[in-house]
Amino acid sequence: MSIFLPIVLNWLLAYGYPVIWFAIFIASAGFPIPSALVLLAAGAFAQAGDFNIFLLAVLALSASVCGDSTGYFIGRRWGTKVIDWLETSKWNRFISPRAIERGRARFKKQAAWAVFLTRFLFPALGGVVNLIAGADPYPYRYFLPCDISGEILSAVIPLSLGYAFGASWEAVGDVLGSFSIFALALLAATFLTLYLIRTARRSRVEKLDTMKEPAIVQFKKTGTMPPDNPAQRSGELPLS
Amino acid sequence: MNTRVKFVILGVLLCVALGAAIFAAITTVQAIQQFRQQHQLTTSGDVSTIRPWMTIHYIALTYHVPENYLYQSLHITNPQQVRHATLRVLADRANQPVDDVIHEVQKAILTYRKQNPQTGMPIHTGQLNGAPRAPGRENP
Repeated sequence: MSIFLPIVLNWLLAYGYPVIWFAIFIASAGFPIPSALVLLAAGAFAQAGDFNIFLLAVLALSASVCGDSTGYFIGRRWGTKVIDWLETSKWNRFISPRAIERGRARFKKQAAWAVFLTRFLFPALGGVVNLIAGADPYPYRYFLPCDISGEILSAVIPLSLGYAFGASWEAVGDVLGSFSIFALALLAATFLTLYLIRTARRSRVEKLDTMKEPAIVQFKKTGTMPPDNPAQRSGELPLS
Repeated sequence: MNTRVKFVILGVLLCVALGAAIFAAITTVQAIQQFRQQHQLTTSGDVSTIRPWMTIHYIALTYHVPENYLYQSLHITNPQQVRHATLRVLADRANQPVDDVIHEVQKAILTYRKQNPQTGMPIHTGQLNGAPRAPGRENP
């Protein structure tokens, strides 16, 4: 549990809605405040009549969209320069320019899903994805609809669960947290399995191509002659 | 990169991801079980589920005890000033450990239930503060 949570909860009760807005805003911008837990608690307090649940939902949505947009524009302002530097700098020996280029191309393809899913399913990655989306740069007109639709879920799910289960919101938070890690690990395992299968297929195709290549081409490529294969021989005259 | 090395790295990463997925799945199931237990205890009015983030107003509503009765038992003379204060804040103001304040509230609720059995809530002894609390919970 975050060390900031008790402080945020005390402020939440003392100062009300502005604290909710501010907490969600800075959490969405990348500060490590567990916004889902804040919303769960707010939902529980709304059940006790301390807050209006609909107003909370509107505030949470506006704050998170503003925070995400702030992260996006920070990425756009400074992140692009960082990526350009990584691509061109001779000091960067850890990530090759080709890998960065491939990563950028892949992110462009999957950005909408990345933005949408990191709002409510993998909230821990939300701040980073905002920065990358801005740095890439992924067009803001595409970023915003994905962000809003994801943030609607990220506001409605914890608020309604907090409202429904009241004093048990901490236990609900534990369930959501572990489920998020489970989903992330499952996604990583699925991606790696697919990647492994694709690599195996590609390797097999390359091997077959190598077998079909004439010996002289292979010799030029690898510097070694292939083993003698009777199936590949042609034009041999039978010795009589 | 050599194909064999690539396969080995991918295989190791896949094993790590699968291990993490299995571990997270087990943790999720445990969290669901703990949530069910916790929710059951809360709805049955067990005082061991009182937490430091709760306000007196919240406790009064959840455990069906008059708010003023709780203020009196905590020797709070100006309830309006502390209506939005959590038990943690009350403890800080009184220079007391939060567990002591929770313990006082638990005792007050149990005493009230003994005195007023018609309130509908069972006289749950639960587990007073100091004894093991509801499963898996720690003070936030």
